[in-house]
Amino acid sequence: MFENEEGTDLEAARERTLGALVSFSRALRREGVSVPADGSLVAARALATVGLSDRERVRAALKAALVAGPDEEDVFERLFPSFWRQFAGEGDFWTPPAQDGPDAGEPAPVEAAPESGGGEDTNGSDAGRDGGTVARRGGSTSETESADPVSDGTSAAVYSPVGSTERVDAIGREDATLERSIDRLGRALARLRGRQVTQSGDERPDVRRALRRAGGGVPLPLPTAGRDERAVRALVLADVSRSVLDTVDRPFLLAALGHMTREWREVRTFLFDTDVREVTRAIGSRDAGTALERAEAEWGGGTRIGEAIAAIRRAHPGAVDRDTVVLVASDGLEVGDVAELEEGMAWLSGASAGVLWLNPLAGSPEYEPTCRGMAAALPYVDGLFAFAGPGDVREVARQLERQGLSGSIGYEYDPRP
Amino acid sequence: MGTDDDGGDDPGSAAAAAAPFADVDEERLREVFEAESYVADDEIVTTVLLALRLGKPLLIEGEPGSGKTELGKVLAGGFSTDLVRLQCYEGLAAENTLYEWNYTKQLLAVQAGEGGVEDGGGSGEAGADGDGDERSVFDRDYLLERPLLEALSGDGDRPPILLIDEVDRADEEFEALLLEVLSDFQVSIPELGTVSADRPPVVIVTSNRTRGLSDALKRRCLYLHIDPPSFEKERAIVERKVPELDAAVAAELCGVVARLREEPLLKQPGVAETLDWARAVRELDGEGEGLEPATVRNTLGCLLKEAEDVERVDDDLIERVVADATAE
Repeated sequence: MFENEEGTDLEAARERTLGALVSFSRALRREGVSVPADGSLVAARALATVGLSDRERVRAALKAALVAGPDEEDVFERLFPSFWRQFAGEGDFWTPPAQDGPDAGEPAPVEAAPESGGGEDTNGSDAGRDGGTVARRGGSTSETESADPVSDGTSAAVYSPVGSTERVDAIGREDATLERSIDRLGRALARLRGRQVTQSGDERPDVRRALRRAGGGVPLPLPTAGRDERAVRALVLADVSRSVLDTVDRPFLLAALGHMTREWREVRTFLFDTDVREVTRAIGSRDAGTALERAEAEWGGGTRIGEAIAAIRRAHPGAVDRDTVVLVASDGLEVGDVAELEEGMAWLSGASAGVLWLNPLAGSPEYEPTCRGMAAALPYVDGLFAFAGPGDVREVARQLERQGLSGSIGYEYDPRP
Repeated sequence: MGTDDDGGDDPGSAAAAAAPFADVDEERLREVFEAESYVADDEIVTTVLLALRLGKPLLIEGEPGSGKTELGKVLAGGFSTDLVRLQCYEGLAAENTLYEWNYTKQLLAVQAGEGGVEDGGGSGEAGADGDGDERSVFDRDYLLERPLLEALSGDGDRPPILLIDEVDRADEEFEALLLEVLSDFQVSIPELGTVSADRPPVVIVTSNRTRGLSDALKRRCLYLHIDPPSFEKERAIVERKVPELDAAVAAELCGVVARLREEPLLKQPGVAETLDWARAVRELDGEGEGLEPATVRNTLGCLLKEAEDVERVDDDLIERVVADATAE
């Protein structure tokens, strides 16, 4: 145990490091990662070894200490960005903080902390053990709520009438892998049979145009047509209900939606939980956090997909047409009327080129689409896919490339272990 | 700092005894990888560095052929220390991994009146009680050290690298046996006492994940998952390991492998297969004409190890992947 000396920058920094570390270990445990009892201790020593200045080193060190399997690795990768922001919060963590007093938003000091620098204490005491060794000041009830404001992004705390208040991490994460996966999905969608044909392509002779131009027996170069790879028309319906937000990595969701909206040519994006809002412009901008705040996006309610589709049908009937692929990102845990959902899905299925359902839960090997909302929607869905990371997006693209919309596609054909 | 000959041998340093590689820094480790032609990304470097400096066993998982075993060999070679390798298999038992008594020698000793059958009682370090006729046949002279014990009792300048390879092939009972070794670096021999390592070995445990390992084992280890290599990394590996191969051909070859990995194959080719294939192509492609579909077809056996996979990859697919690879 050490004394918390106010005004000692080193101590404050150390406390913050350990606080963030312990919180991170606990968050991993909550997500099912089997962090050993001395995991925080080993992690602290690992950090002391590799230093704190390099994000990737810290990531590798913590992963080595806290994770024990590829499945756990996925959870780790999902939670690490939040940890890093908390860890490196208030701008520059490694210079003396401007205000080193105990702020309300900070993680509280560890009461019984291991010697992070020396690592000589080998008696197995665990700073991360769930015994309440970390106490938070200010009485906040949610860890995400009490996270430090981030310096490199924007947080938007908004109110939802059904769910509890939620601080939404709205950083447009630059993730090259994800962007490549989304691009590939865009190309796969653009190449689907029956998609928009342009005159600029050179895939096949354009007979219609050739006949129109033909006249007087003058030889003309044969016009050709192809498919414009960026001519994706898509309607994206993203579920931001509490159950989805608890499952899916929010930066991933935002980054995926943002990149789709920006890079695909014709995309309209709607967020829905108990209400539905178009956020095409907001989410497509680089400053998604501020933009979402402007759009008064609410997060964290229950899911009413049927009502959402009905609302879109009423207010935006032109959002769906024969050439539009509908992507629904939702866990299908409908709290509204299932009959209405069925009716909405029937409309979507009939009016669009195809409906792909991206379900964050479908990545689990045990997943079965048996919940009532998902079961009702399934007959109208061309493919149900997992949606938890860039790999899942890539898998959707891969299957579409090989099978198209009408082939045998879906999570059940996903060959990944 | 961080060399083979200094630092870690300081007998006065308790920390050095606990983690004999505590003096190794990142630069030194990268030098070792470089010298041994092992292409390691930052995550591998950081994790191995932690295992060395913290003195914790390192559990490495990854696809077969991703370089798990090679990592152990590279560390042994790079730090000029012994590699003690224990290849696991089903039915692996304590006597194959820890120690056996040399029964023949014991029997002869007893018959010749050179030793009794009293337990060594923990005096096994010297192996004798002093008086010739009071010697026990349960001392170190009669002990056959198997890999785990051998690693603990190493007496080189640097402790050995203990490579426990494919631990998932062994039974769960073996895992339980490993626990004592990995947590305390000691082995209990009932007749002799506890043998502790003066300088614990660097332990590398590899697994292909054919079955899950126990939490207890995982808890004692740092964890590293070696992902299938990116195109760039694989190309670097091929260029490093098969330098005779033309760089352009190496790039095409890696492009073909990367493309084939997108196919639903029963067994995805690993880096080891890519290297085998690269060597085969080098042998056949004397003129450096680049990668031809016919060459790919004829050497596919180096890459694909399942008959169904070879069948699945037909001529059309080969032509397509070669065309894709050469176009990139």
